[in-house]
Amino acid sequence: MKAIELSPQGEAPTRPRQFTEKPSFEEQKQNKPAQSHFWARGIIGISVVATFLPLAYLISVSLMGRDETVSGILWTLDPQFSNWSDVLFSSDIPRSIGNSLIAATFGALLSLAGGLPGAWAIVHYKTGGRALSALVTSPWLLPPVVAVIPLFILLRVLNLNDSLVGLTLIYALINLPIAVWLLEGFLHKIPSSIFDAAAVDGAGPWRTLVSIVTPLMLPALIAIGTIIAILNYNEFLLATFLTQSVESQTAPVALSLFYGDRTPHFGKIAAASVIVVIPVFAAATFLQRWMIDGLVNGVGK
Amino acid sequence: MIVLGAFPLVFIVTAALTESSLGKPFKKFVGAENFEAVLRDSDVLQSIFRTVSYSFAVTAVSVVLGVLLACAVYEGARKGSVLRTLLLLPLIIPPVIVGTLWKLIYNPSGGLIATVLGYASIPAPQILSDGSLALAAVGVADIWQWTPLVFLLVYASLLGQDSSLNEAARLDGAHGWKLFVHITLPAIGGTIAAAAFIRLVIALKVFDLVFMMTSGGPGQSTTTTSYLIYQAAIKEFDVDRASAITLLLAVVVTVITVPIGLMIARIRRSEGSNA
Repeated sequence: MKAIELSPQGEAPTRPRQFTEKPSFEEQKQNKPAQSHFWARGIIGISVVATFLPLAYLISVSLMGRDETVSGILWTLDPQFSNWSDVLFSSDIPRSIGNSLIAATFGALLSLAGGLPGAWAIVHYKTGGRALSALVTSPWLLPPVVAVIPLFILLRVLNLNDSLVGLTLIYALINLPIAVWLLEGFLHKIPSSIFDAAAVDGAGPWRTLVSIVTPLMLPALIAIGTIIAILNYNEFLLATFLTQSVESQTAPVALSLFYGDRTPHFGKIAAASVIVVIPVFAAATFLQRWMIDGLVNGVGK
Repeated sequence: MIVLGAFPLVFIVTAALTESSLGKPFKKFVGAENFEAVLRDSDVLQSIFRTVSYSFAVTAVSVVLGVLLACAVYEGARKGSVLRTLLLLPLIIPPVIVGTLWKLIYNPSGGLIATVLGYASIPAPQILSDGSLALAAVGVADIWQWTPLVFLLVYASLLGQDSSLNEAARLDGAHGWKLFVHITLPAIGGTIAAAAFIRLVIALKVFDLVFMMTSGGPGQSTTTTSYLIYQAAIKEFDVDRASAITLLLAVVVTVITVPIGLMIARIRRSEGSNA
């Protein structure tokens, strides 16, 4: 009896008018009562505002003059594009963004280069069983501040202190566990019959890795590489400690130094913030499909 | 690789057991002296307690909001990637900038909150310089940044759930809250637990936000353990104290996370065998 009432055909006449603009095929596919959309849309609306409002405010402040930022207005009538041009042409920010991009990209590539063979060994050859896989991920549990001093001394020994090369190597090293962990999620999905066939054809482990695993994993490698590169780009603690000179400091470090003045110019700070976000934002928009795939497969496996 | 990975650990243990400074590590062996000093230091113990309670609080809020939002998007939105991108934005923004942004919002002279309250002639609150509010204010920024991660993971798991089960339950007359508690929640419970775990670990590590927003103040009210270690090591060059605090924190984090991690693994395994 109830089953008939709840079927899509049964509820259609009683459906409130305002929901009819929803595509009906999706309604049928999901087979859900239209009433539930009301609360759902409310929550989505609130969330969008809560997410977007702070960012809109940041952009608004980035156009304010020095006096306006403390005068209690939400939107300036006299936008100061000079904030942006000052940051772009007469500050260390562009250079630091370049540094960040280099350290983030090469660090991510190195993490992948080291992580892929490692993850493959764990997944395919069951090296170390579950214990090794857990052991590899365990460093992620600890705050990075833990590693700052030893890494500092390590770089000093290698004579790579305060250099972009040193920071890149550190990034490659600290993200190796994350690379292995995320790659495992994808590698589990490749059917092992492919490897068996390769073995029958006489391919050794190294050839299988290079000519079969790597091409199959390309989308995953892009996804995970993007995630790690963004983590690197955003990283602050290690960067602030390991790169102090202007030549090697990264964007978050350069940005944190903007507060150095006695009376900080909030407009310029906001402009610098927006400018620093732009590269990550561009990368994330461009690669978002893969990136989300990487997060979901790696973490939610 | 193992050498490189193990180096920090060996270094910290050695440094914690010796009298060290940044310039001259390992001057002389002092045994457990550093640990005793740290365990007697109320600043250290309070910071650990503060970090742990902060982490559980922001995790709870993030998970509730993230699950709610995931269900809402699943129920009420078309598969709009614009919406999804927008909701995930905070995730990709550098924490340093999130800290800057919220500092601007809280700014008592001309910040967003002060301005809006100003329209209603309410005097601007000194949020970040009020010892009882500052940590919660940092927490709000933290929640703003990381709730999208919970949302993303739970949403993905909702999309991946077995819809035939859902339909069968609907035909049996389950809907709304009942459907959620009896069908949806068990199906995505493992993912929620895993997302909560990841969120908790991230919260335990909070540093950038504290550094940018409050520098641990006012007083000690936002000095999380990560920040305390930073202070000891980098501002005071007291490497042995920093190392001892680090090890203490490592023990606390392990004691908290390992049982939870094992529990989640067990839940997920039993889920897997049921399916």
